[in-house]
Amino acid sequence: MLEEAGFAGVRIGPPVDTFKGARGEKNARRFAVYGYSFLARKLE
Amino acid sequence: MSIDAKDDTAVDAEVLRNEVRSKYREVAANPGGEHHFHTGRYLASHLGYDDAFVASLPDAAVESFAGVANPFSLRSLHRGERVVDVGSGAGFDSFVAAHLVGPEGRVIGVDMTAEMLAKARSTAATMVISTVEFREGLAERLPVEDAWADVVVSNGVINLCPDKRAVFSEIHRALRPGGWLQFADIANGNPVPAAALDNVDLWTA
Repeated sequence: MLEEAGFAGVRIGPPVDTFKGARGEKNARRFAVYGYSFLARKLE
Repeated sequence: MSIDAKDDTAVDAEVLRNEVRSKYREVAANPGGEHHFHTGRYLASHLGYDDAFVASLPDAAVESFAGVANPFSLRSLHRGERVVDVGSGAGFDSFVAAHLVGPEGRVIGVDMTAEMLAKARSTAATMVISTVEFREGLAERLPVEDAWADVVVSNGVINLCPDKRAVFSEIHRALRPGGWLQFADIANGNPVPAAALDNVDLWTA
């Protein structure tokens, strides 16, 4: 989707256990939800 | 892993926006309340933000932070850069950005929730930061001129937008050629049932 929008060089960081210990942890585990950092650059 | 599992759903965009506004109105007014996610200083430390800098911020700048990862972890910001923070909430990532770009830089935070905007503006005034401005707007229609930004950041917001293609297209418009998009968001490793995708109550649960 990012590339379709005109971005290149997409990088994704390691998963972060965002919901660990939070009330939403059960649903996060059920659907394997993690936080990620994304980096992309608009084409020149 | 999928970040676009919620795209192209039957959820009405305005109904979803109202649900999101309601949730984040609560986070603005009662950041320590019973939310399904962590907030504030604990979360910032958990996500790897600079503890010393976060400690230097007033409570109002941090307590309503509800991000999902660290958009500055893959690339920091450079002095003098112009930054747009999409879904800036109470301003935490905007204040981090302002610190990183310095007095020559500019930061525009955009949010659709009035209570978050009011809190962010009040905090910026208290901190006497003139390089940060908060504007009301939607991720799909950013109140920023074409190619203004060197960098667009966002944290835990795009997953709440039903039309992600429109959001990325709008971010692309706001960025200069060669500009950077650095955002944090959640993604699911297991498929979410279609019925759940179409249930607006579950988007913010």
